[in-house]
Order: sequence, then structure tokens, then C-alpha cells
Amino acid sequence: MKAILITFNQAYYDAILSLMDRRAIRGYTYWEDVQGRGSQTGEPHYGTHAWPTKNAAIFVVVESGKVADFLDALHKLDIQTEAQGLRAFVWDVEQFI
Amino acid sequence: MSLYSTAVKKPVTTALIFVAVVIIGLFALSRLSIDLLPKIDMNMIMVMTSYPGTSAADIEMNVSKPLENTLNSVANLKNITSQSRENISVITLEFEYGSDTDVATNDVRDKLEMVKAYLPDGAESPVIFKFGTDDIPILMLSVTAEESTNALYKILDDKVANPLARINGVGAVSISGTPTRELQVYCDPYKLEAYGQTIESISAVIAQENRNTPGGVIDIGSNTYSLRVQGEFTQVNQLLELVIGSREGKTVYLRDVAYVQDHVEERTQETYNNGVRGGMIIIQKQSGANSVEIAEKVYEKLPEIQASLPSDVELGIIMDSSENIVHTIDTLVETVLVTFLIVMLVVLAFLRRWRATFIIVLTIPISLIASFAYLMGSGNTLNIVSMSSLSIAIGMVVDDAIVVLENITKHIERGSTPRQAAIHATNEVGLAVMASTLTILAVFLPFTVITSGIAGIMFRQLGWIVTIVISVSLISALTLTPMMCSQMLRLNPKKGRLYAFFFTPVEKALNRLDTAYSQFVDWAVRHRKTVITGALVVFAASLLLLPSIKTEFFPTQDNARIGINIELPVGTRQDITRDLASRIDEAFRRKYPEIEISNYTEGQANTDNTFAQLSNSGTHIIEFNISLYSVGERREKSGAERKLTEICEFMRQDLEAYPEIIRFEVLAGGGGGMMGGEASVDVEIYGFDFSQTDFVANEVAQRLREHPSVSQVTISREDYIPEYQVDFDREKLAVNGLNITTASTYMRNRINGAVASLYREDGDEYNIRVRYAPEFRQSLEDIENIVIYNNAGQGVRVREVGQVVERMTPPTIERKNRERIITVSAIAAEGAALSDVVNVANAEMKTMDIPPEIGWQLAGSYQDQQETFTDLTVLMLLILILVFIVMAAQFESLVDPFVIMFSVPFAFVGVLLGLSVTQTPLGVMALIGLIMLIGIVVKNGIVLIDYIILCRERGMSIITSCVAAGKSRLRPVLMTSLSTVLGMLPLALGRGEGSEMWHAMGMTVAWGLSISTLITLIIVPVIYCVFAANGVKRRRRKLKKSRLGMNYNAN
Repeated sequence: MKAILITFNQAYYDAILSLMDRRAIRGYTYWEDVQGRGSQTGEPHYGTHAWPTKNAAIFVVVESGKVADFLDALHKLDIQTEAQGLRAFVWDVEQFI
Repeated sequence: MSLYSTAVKKPVTTALIFVAVVIIGLFALSRLSIDLLPKIDMNMIMVMTSYPGTSAADIEMNVSKPLENTLNSVANLKNITSQSRENISVITLEFEYGSDTDVATNDVRDKLEMVKAYLPDGAESPVIFKFGTDDIPILMLSVTAEESTNALYKILDDKVANPLARINGVGAVSISGTPTRELQVYCDPYKLEAYGQTIESISAVIAQENRNTPGGVIDIGSNTYSLRVQGEFTQVNQLLELVIGSREGKTVYLRDVAYVQDHVEERTQETYNNGVRGGMIIIQKQSGANSVEIAEKVYEKLPEIQASLPSDVELGIIMDSSENIVHTIDTLVETVLVTFLIVMLVVLAFLRRWRATFIIVLTIPISLIASFAYLMGSGNTLNIVSMSSLSIAIGMVVDDAIVVLENITKHIERGSTPRQAAIHATNEVGLAVMASTLTILAVFLPFTVITSGIAGIMFRQLGWIVTIVISVSLISALTLTPMMCSQMLRLNPKKGRLYAFFFTPVEKALNRLDTAYSQFVDWAVRHRKTVITGALVVFAASLLLLPSIKTEFFPTQDNARIGINIELPVGTRQDITRDLASRIDEAFRRKYPEIEISNYTEGQANTDNTFAQLSNSGTHIIEFNISLYSVGERREKSGAERKLTEICEFMRQDLEAYPEIIRFEVLAGGGGGMMGGEASVDVEIYGFDFSQTDFVANEVAQRLREHPSVSQVTISREDYIPEYQVDFDREKLAVNGLNITTASTYMRNRINGAVASLYREDGDEYNIRVRYAPEFRQSLEDIENIVIYNNAGQGVRVREVGQVVERMTPPTIERKNRERIITVSAIAAEGAALSDVVNVANAEMKTMDIPPEIGWQLAGSYQDQQETFTDLTVLMLLILILVFIVMAAQFESLVDPFVIMFSVPFAFVGVLLGLSVTQTPLGVMALIGLIMLIGIVVKNGIVLIDYIILCRERGMSIITSCVAAGKSRLRPVLMTSLSTVLGMLPLALGRGEGSEMWHAMGMTVAWGLSISTLITLIIVPVIYCVFAANGVKRRRRKLKKSRLGMNYNAN
């Protein structure tokens, strides 16, 4: 089992959800309003006057076999429209109930 | 969930809500009636008090003065004027516009109740009379007839006036200029004397013979019959056979002393239409009825009426107020459509996308149509003000939608799906859009609270309509526009060859403009002193134009109507007047092919003609009602195209050449209107002494006439009127057993005649008038020879108990605000403005030697202009403060709005330049344009400053921010400004009927906004740099200080 944290421009929400559905990834946790900025070129997403866009975050836990394909799809989405900003981070899940 | 995400997620609901709004608006539109102006409440109340047998001076002392003193304390009273004439006092109370006349009427009634006890015993109860715009005739029909002339009155009364009066909404229908049938019993005074008869005895006999009497009922056998005596004359010649007495045992018949004429009244008003004798039918509407609708119904009915008339009687139209209304509104509808097209083209040129243009342009009809619902709800009409407000609003309603759409497009280009982009992009700019709309509302909402003066009526509606239209457009921009974008916009739509052909050059030009502008801003912010000095020089230079700008109140409107009043010396015989009138008429129609119908009336009006009673009439007065071809069709129909004021000017010169005319007045617009007529400056001269004030008034009039900027000068006080009076010697009368009443009644019955009875025929009644035959009342001897009988039957001649003398009676005494007044009014000549005449009048009055007890002041349009200008200046200050507050709240700063405010003075520069280049005088409309500009020009500043601040928050330096913001915001600024400026052009350049009104406003906004936009684009970044740099320096100093302090503390 792997945990994936996806942080992205709010505008991606629908697209990401449909990617998950297509891969039968059902469970997730979603934060609608989160703020942040990219490490190198990513614009800030603060929801302020100067930086009006906002980020959202999705936390999913999937079987390890699905991770590569899913990340691939997310990467494709990111490359299509780089300016929007989309990042995903994967780590192991040791235990769960 | 926010408003916009709901809208985007529920496209069906959103779309249908707006469809509903449009349907309600269209429904309202179908119910709206058309009128020229918004409903204007009456603000005049007249109080008439008659006191028979008193002279003007007595009326003034005993009736007018006490009434004025009491009525003066009525609330909201603006002016109180009075006219004291022989036998009657007429007091006119003028209230502030917008005050409730019903309340005022009650107040007046209460006051009259109070003062009644102090009026002289002989004075009758004062009568209150309200006069409003509803009393102005809406339609005048001409009637020409040849053979039927003498019977015309009856024909018209039965077949025209009655059917017309039955039309819903028609108030009074009066017939003028047609003689009324009357049976004249013309007596020979010598025969009367010989047979021992008098006019009175003959009248009594006629009255007693011409009677039907019911005799009650009688039972005969088994039936009941009613008993009647039918004594009424059935034929005119029965009169001749009447037995009026006996003399020396022989019966005296009426035919022995008199002859009977079945003819028309002796003295009547005569009317001519285009030189043919006929009548005039005047139609007034019921209070609150719709002129256009009534006129339509009258037109519908006319063919039917015409068919029922004898073949020689023809109906025509002299004046139709609805025609002007319909034409004016048509012109405005055209203007609105043209504006719509222009705005659409501007948007298309900048966005270069059909779908985007459609989305934006869609807000225009929706917001405009929504305002119709307001018009219906508030009981208003489609009129000049409401239609022009729509035209003004068009350029502004697209602004919000443009900003929203632009941001959505940006998001889509960055890769969002249209749906997500619509929600997030709207969310980003929602607040800014609301704030900039609030500044526009801050300008227009205060218009709705002006209550005083004519400006209140005009601009309250403008304020409401623009407020509503802009509010609806804001809502639509935040809901409908994102919804439509989410449904219709596509990423990188395919571009056709047509697209490339049209838009590649536009795109290239815009790109070049962007680069050039950002380079210029870059230079400007680095040369701040040069730029600011340059701007100051421009501002100062424009102030130099100030003295050359003239002022006016409202421009004269070309409604194609001219009213002319001509007075010949009092007592001129009707045939001489008639002859002159026909000569003038012919000359005018030959000289001015623009004349469609020339109608004139001369002679004494009948007392039962309500319309004629409202104006002066007499055998020496000629009244012309001329209608020209309307502006739109003047050229094609007449081949000449002179303006109304020009023609009036020529007519004045023509009339000047007739030596027999002692006084004339040519009124452009036909008079009767409060706006749109020619501007006049009234010099009001206050003073008690007749001869002194007369002298001053004549002197002023004389001097004013000599100036080329003054075209017509009239003095309100009439001349002394010569008349014959009979002075009876009371002692002699008493010796003969007579008194003044008996003696004067005898005289009246012989000259004016006594109405003995009524002759009935076909359900109509005609007077039977007994008097001396015309040949026996032609000289003073005839009057002196009248025999007066006392109770003992002894006759005595007038010359034995009194003498006939010629006297001059003093004219009407006019008073204003409780002082005697004489008004000299001067009308501005063609090409001269109100301010020219004011200057001339002021200069002349100063050089004149006026006795100290005589006061004077300038009034008329000038006074109205001053009052309105003061109101509007106060309004402008109020609006400036409100706009500042709205901007300060948006930026949460006092400096940024202050920087933006720098664009306002440059709007004034543009306006001054525009006024002096186009030679337009500064009137109320230009001032309103100026006020509107405050809201419109700061919008540009807001867009710029908002983005500069954004760039700085993103970490750019001050100068880079200014350049970057300039480059990014140039297109939105140019697009919104261009749509507003070009949207004003149809108003500024329109040539249709009623367009004069809006020229000045459209022109002011167009010039002001153009100049201000160009200068704002440079000066605002520069001034922002100055303030921002100071702010940075200040903060550094503070920081240094606090660090120093900290060091000190640490030590």
C-alpha cells in the first residue's frame, strides 16, 4: 500500500477525480483550500490580491501496483498545462485499520 | 457556495432566470406608453378673485395685497406673482418643483378661509385654479369650409367635437374661429320712441311668448290627459308677428320697430388655415392621459368623421404634439441601436473572437430590457430621459463582463477546463468588478436624490435607470457571463482565413501599440518632473480657454413649431387686422417654404371657448400657429433647410418692417413648454411708481435692442388703453328717478344687446338678442341719444344726465413677491448664448441711471440656470467625495484613490477643449456629462492602479510594476474607454428631432473621456511612482529610527 499526496491548482480537481475513477481508486481525502508555492518555478497560490489562485490537496492510499500508472497519468496532466501546477508525493503506508 | 459557482454549475437555472428577466422586461415594454418628458407635477396654483366694478389699482390695494400677505406663508412657495386687472385679481403661486401640490392646495385653501373676512364686502370668494402641463393642447385640427361657413359651428359641434370628446382620454374639445348662429332683433331707436317701446319691453315680450308650459292633467271620461301650451317659436319669422303693445288703439307688431336677422354673432374670432377661412378644433387631454395614444385614436376616427361632413368641409392637422414625441423617441431608438452596434464592433476588434463577443454583447439587451420593468413599476413612460439614459448606459454595461471574460480566457489559456476557469477566474476578479461598479453607482445614485428644480425631474430618472442597468449588468457579469463562458469558450479555437484577413492587421497594430506605450511609460516614470510639469502646463493652458466658454440653460429644441403674437394699436377694427394678418400670412408662406401649415386667428374670442380664454384676444390681436416640416423631412419636402431659431430670427426682422404693429413676439417652440424654448433673460424692475418704472423699462428695452446678441425684447406691462366712459351725474339721475344701475343697464342693452330668450331648433339652442340695429350705434351721438325711462315712464336722454368722455385706463398691475414689477425679457439671438445676453444686460443696467427706489434683478432662464448650476455643483462635490470613499475602501488606502483622482482634472481639460472647439455653450446637459465623467474616468485609474499594486505585491520594483501594469492593462482600458466614447458619439452627433438636448452631454463625455484616458495612462503611473517612492523612503526612515531607538535602548 502506498500513500499519495497530490497538491494542485483547484482547477485540476475534476480532471484528477476522473483519472482516479478510471483506475478504480475509490477512497480519498480532499482539502479544498490549501496554499503553497512551487520550489523552483511554481507560482504562489495564496488566494490573495496578488496571487489569486488557490491550491487543493488530495490524499489517496492505493495498492502499490497502481502507483506507477497513476503517477504517469498525473505527470501527463501536469505537462499539458505546466503553468497551473500539480505535484504528487508517494510514500509507504505501514499500517492501517 | 458562491454565486458564480452556483451559476456555472446550474446553467439551466441561470439561463432561465435571465430569460425570465427579459420576458418581464419585454412585457413591461409592451405596456409602456410614450411621452416626451417624464411626468412633471404641476407647480402652479392660481387664485382668482373678482370684485366687480373696481379699477386695477383698487383691486391691487384691497384684494391682491391682503391675499398675497397671507398666502406668502404657505410652505415650499417659490414665487408669488399677481395681476390686478379691472374687476379681477389673479394671484399665481409658484411652488418648488417636487413639492406636493395637493398639500399646497389645501394650505392655500386654509389661508384663503382665514383671509376671506378681511376682503371687501363686494369681493366674491376667491377661486383656486390649478394649471398644469395637461392643459396644453395636444392636437389642433384645422377646418376649412366654403359654402358651409355660416353653419360650421353646428356641423363641427355635432359631427366632430362630440365624437372626438367620446374618445377615452380626451378632455375638452373646443371649437374656435367658427361663428355661432344667433337671432338678431335689430331695433330702430326712432320707431321705438315713436311707438313708446323699449328694448327691455321687447325682450320681456319675446321671453314671455317663447315658452312651453305644462298645464297639469285632466280626466276626461275614463282617460287621463295631460294639458300643455306649446308657445315656443318654431320658425324665425314668427318673431316678426309678435304683438309688442298698442299705440292709439292700434296693435304694434315687432316688425313695425325692428327687423330680424337669422345670422351669426357679430363679433367672432376668425381663423385661417394656409389662407383659407375656417375653424380650429383644439383637443386637450384628461389629466394623466397619454398624448400619443389619444392622437392615434383621433387619427383612426378622422376618416369616419370626414366622411360624415358636407363635401366642402375639410379637416386637416395644424399641430400634433404626439408627432414630435414619436419622432423624438424614434430618433432615440435609432441612437440606442447604433450605439449597440458600435460597442459590439469595439469589443469584437479587441477580443477577435465571435463567441466571446457574443457573450459580452448579450449583457447589453438583458440589462437594458430589465430597466423597462422598473419604468413600468414606477409608472414612468418611455421618454427622452429614459431612452437617453439607456443610450448612455450601453457603453458602460459591457465593462464588467469584459473584465470577467478576459480573466476566464486567461485561465483557459493556462490550461483550465472552461468550467473550472469560469468559477475560479470570476472568483478572482469578482471583488474588483464590484468595486469599480460601485464607483459608477456612487456617481449615479446621488442623481436620484436631487429633488429641486427642473434638474430633479430630468435626472432622477437618469440616475435610477443607469443604477438599475449597471446593477443588472454586474449581476449578469458575475453569473451569466461565467456560465456562458463555461459552455461556449474553447481552448485555441480554429481560426479561419476570414479571421486572419480581418484580425491580423488589428492584432499587429495592437501589439505595436502595447510596445510603444510600455516604452513611453518606461521613459515617463524615469522623467517624473518633466511629465508632471508638462501635465500642469496642459491643465493651466486649458484654463485659459475658460473665459471663451459661454453658458446656457437648456438648448433650444427644433420641434418645428412657431407661435407669434402680434398686437396692433388697441381698438384697431377687425377688418384692418384681418387684412394685415392675411398679408403677413401670404408673405411668410412665400418666403419660408419650410412652413407646412400656417394658422392664424384674429378677433375677440367667445366667452364660452375655454381654450381661447387662456390667451389674450381682441380685435387688435393676431395669433399665428405655424408648423414647419419636421427636422427629418424638412429638406426633402421644402427644399430649404433652415433651423427653427433661424427662421424665427428672420420672421422678427420681417415683422419689424410693418409700421402698424406696435408689439410682437415670435416664440420658437410655440411657447407652452418649460424646456426647449429659446432662452430668455428677464430684467425684473421693481418699483411702485408707474411712470418711473415705465421709464426705466423702456430705457432698458431700448438699450438691449441695440445689441446684436439680443434678438427680441418685450416689456410685460401693457400700454394704457383708451376707452369711452359715460360719466353720469348722480344728482341729475336722482332728479329723474334713476340710478347708475338702471342707466347703465339701459346702455348695455342697446349697444351690447339683451339676450331675450333662446330659440330652439333640432335640439340646439341659439340666443335671441335684442339690440339697436348696427347703423344706430356707430357714433358718440348715438350713445348720447339713448333714452332711459324711469319708473314713471318718463324718458330722458343720456346726454341730459351724463357725458361721454374718452379716457385712458391703466393697464394690469403686475406684482411679484409683493412688489410691483415690470419685466423686460430679452431673447438671445441666433448664435449668441444666454451668458452673452446676461453680460449685456448686466453691463447696461450698471451704466444706467436708475432712481434709488427702484430695484432690479435678472431672472428668467438665467435664474433657473443659476439655481440648477448651484445644485449640480453641490452634487458634483458630493459625488467626488463618495467616489473617493468607495475607492479608499477598495484599496484600503488613502494615497491610491488620491492618485487615481488625478485623472479627474484632465477630464475637465478635455471638456473645456471640446466646448471651445465645437463652440458649444456650457449648459445643464454639459454639466451632467461632466459629473458622469467623474465616475467613468476613475474607472481607468482603478484598473491601472489595481494592477500596479498587484505587480508590486508579486515582488516587482515600483518602476517595473508601472511598466508591466501599463502593458498588461492598456487593452482593457482602451476597450472600455473606446466603447464608452464611441457609444456617446450617436448622442453627440445625432441630427434627428430632439437631439439638440443631448449633443452637449454626448460631446462632453466623449471629449472628456478621450483626453482624460490619454493623460491618465501617463500621469497615473508617474504620480503613483512619486507617492510610492516617498512611501518607501518614509518607511526606511522609520525603520532606521526604530533601529536607532532599539540600539539606544540596548545601550
